[in-house]
Amino acid sequence: MTDKRAFSLGKLWRTTTVRLTAMFIAIFVGFALILLSFLAYQTSVQIQRQQSYAIDREVGQLRLLASRSNINTMIFAVQRLADRPGPGIYYLGDATGTMLAGNVTDFPAAVLAEQGRYELTYERGLEIYGAPGDRDPTKGRAIVESIALADGLRLVIGRDIGERRDFTAIIFSTYFWGALAIVVLSVLAGGITSRYVLRRIDGITGTSTKIMSGNLSERVPVTGRNDEFDAVATSLNAMLDRIEQLMAGMKEVTDNVAHDLKTPLTRLRNRAEAALREGTGPETQRAALETTIAESDQLIRTFNALLLIARAEAGTPSGALSETDLSEVVSDVAELYGPVAEDAGLTLDADIEPGLTMTANRELIGQALVNLVENAIKYSVEGQDEGGRITIAARRERGSITIEVADTGPGIPEPDRKRVFERFARLEASRTEPGAGLGLALVSAVVRLHKGTVHFEDNAPGAKAVIVFPNA
Amino acid sequence: MKILLIEDDREAASYLVQALDECGHITHHAADGETGYAMASGMDYDVLIVDRMLPRRDGLSIIESLRAEDDKTPALILSALGEVDDRVKGLRAGGDDYLVKPYAFSELLARIEVLARRSAPAEAETHYQVADLTLDRLSRRVERAGEHVLLQPREFRLLEYLMKNAGRVVTRTMLLENVWDYHFDPQTNVIDVHMSRLRAKVDKGHERQLLQTVRGAGYMIRD
Repeated sequence: MTDKRAFSLGKLWRTTTVRLTAMFIAIFVGFALILLSFLAYQTSVQIQRQQSYAIDREVGQLRLLASRSNINTMIFAVQRLADRPGPGIYYLGDATGTMLAGNVTDFPAAVLAEQGRYELTYERGLEIYGAPGDRDPTKGRAIVESIALADGLRLVIGRDIGERRDFTAIIFSTYFWGALAIVVLSVLAGGITSRYVLRRIDGITGTSTKIMSGNLSERVPVTGRNDEFDAVATSLNAMLDRIEQLMAGMKEVTDNVAHDLKTPLTRLRNRAEAALREGTGPETQRAALETTIAESDQLIRTFNALLLIARAEAGTPSGALSETDLSEVVSDVAELYGPVAEDAGLTLDADIEPGLTMTANRELIGQALVNLVENAIKYSVEGQDEGGRITIAARRERGSITIEVADTGPGIPEPDRKRVFERFARLEASRTEPGAGLGLALVSAVVRLHKGTVHFEDNAPGAKAVIVFPNA
Repeated sequence: MKILLIEDDREAASYLVQALDECGHITHHAADGETGYAMASGMDYDVLIVDRMLPRRDGLSIIESLRAEDDKTPALILSALGEVDDRVKGLRAGGDDYLVKPYAFSELLARIEVLARRSAPAEAETHYQVADLTLDRLSRRVERAGEHVLLQPREFRLLEYLMKNAGRVVTRTMLLENVWDYHFDPQTNVIDVHMSRLRAKVDKGHERQLLQTVRGAGYMIRD
């Protein structure tokens, strides 16, 4: 990377990956919080219920014992329970408030005075089993049940609820550290992917910057990992290839236009000048003017053909494409040129399958066919192909429409068969011939506009132009 | 014929006005769209020649407004835009013919003379006659001096178009447009070949040659 600032935090934050990562972290942490809160609440309720149940059970047992045995047995039983390690809280006292057995040193007076259930802070003699080190081991919070037995005896049974609170605290601390870890890891992962994505994107941006500054042969790097970036890069490169090709074509056209329009323009100018300079009679001047007009007409024709080719190649047809009966177009052209061929001593045969319809521009297809037929007639006449035969055929072949224009003239040598479709291409043999050399280029452009192909074959003897519109 | 020319190119306009004048037509000139529209709706003309791209108001909207006011004066649109859909747009706006720049004066002249005739009620005629040549559009029968002339369908349309505009020059492009419905310019003399065939069928063996070639312009059928 030439630009270190490319990876600045601000830029990183503006990337989609980082924003998406941040959003997902927020959603995840939020969900985890809701889930864990619910879990903690439910667990706490459950523990409370169990403790409550345990208290009730012990209260029942000790009541039963009290009714059946004497005071010493009770003291012994309560003291045994109280000496067990655990969250249990026990107190047995007499009417004067003297403690007979138990593990709690101090109770608020109200608890001993009135029966019922209380939640309170208490102090006990024994350490609470399993209490975390950060808590005072002799103090705790508890729920207790206070009951009055016979002979003024007071029994208090309870459970320390610190355990429950510890549990909730543990859940939330786990949650906190977990969430922190997730955030840190996600930010790291997001940052790394963003850097990666940014680097790939910067590759594309860099390429387009270079292209914009004029280097059209620059291409987006393809890593070969076959990921979505490679797909984008490949498609961009294909587009760039096409643009470069169009630009090259454009340059070629302008060069050719400059050449092919300048030559007749110069001729035109020379002729006009000559007519003026010589000061000859009105007859010569008139003739010069007539040639001038004829030549300017030819220039306009060349110019129009160039425009039409450019439009067709740019894919913007003149007039929308519509459902067109190709059979009709082909037979119209055959009918239009039949007499022309006949006058030239040729025969023109048409073998046209009816009902060949496709989405097309009638005018352009007609013009393309006219160009092919005019070419066939011209070369047959030039090749002194007396009694030659021109055949126009149109048929459907396995889902595609094929149109052929064949002649029995001199034909086109194999190496030239592709080149004839280039703009201003004229075979060496016919270099001196008039004609703009745009006819076949137009055919090619029109056919490509209709997503078809055109090529020349050997008609043995002669040339055969074959146009194929696949899936038409 | 009274002609209104709406064209912003002064040089082209003065050339056209002069040339039309030499052909015996009275031509008024408007150099922008608004003036042109005011003149067209204020006076009676036989033909309007309207440039498509004009300052202050474009040619198509002038014709559209005139048509909306039920003014049916035939209008020829002049345009540098020669694509098929430009032509279609022009005709849809109410133009009667469309001529792409640059054009030959003879082409323009032939077209406006045919257009001016179009406003006459001759359009609905079913029977054409030039000297002893008759054409019946309903029975599609052509007779010369009482004798049946056998024509191919396209030859019939060719003769029909010529006879409809009898006494007026029709150019080769006009024939290609109206008889074959193609708007391009063929390289070869394809129209001449068809005309000579038609001539062989209609004029051969007759003393009076009705189908005439007008040098540098086109063809005409005339008594």
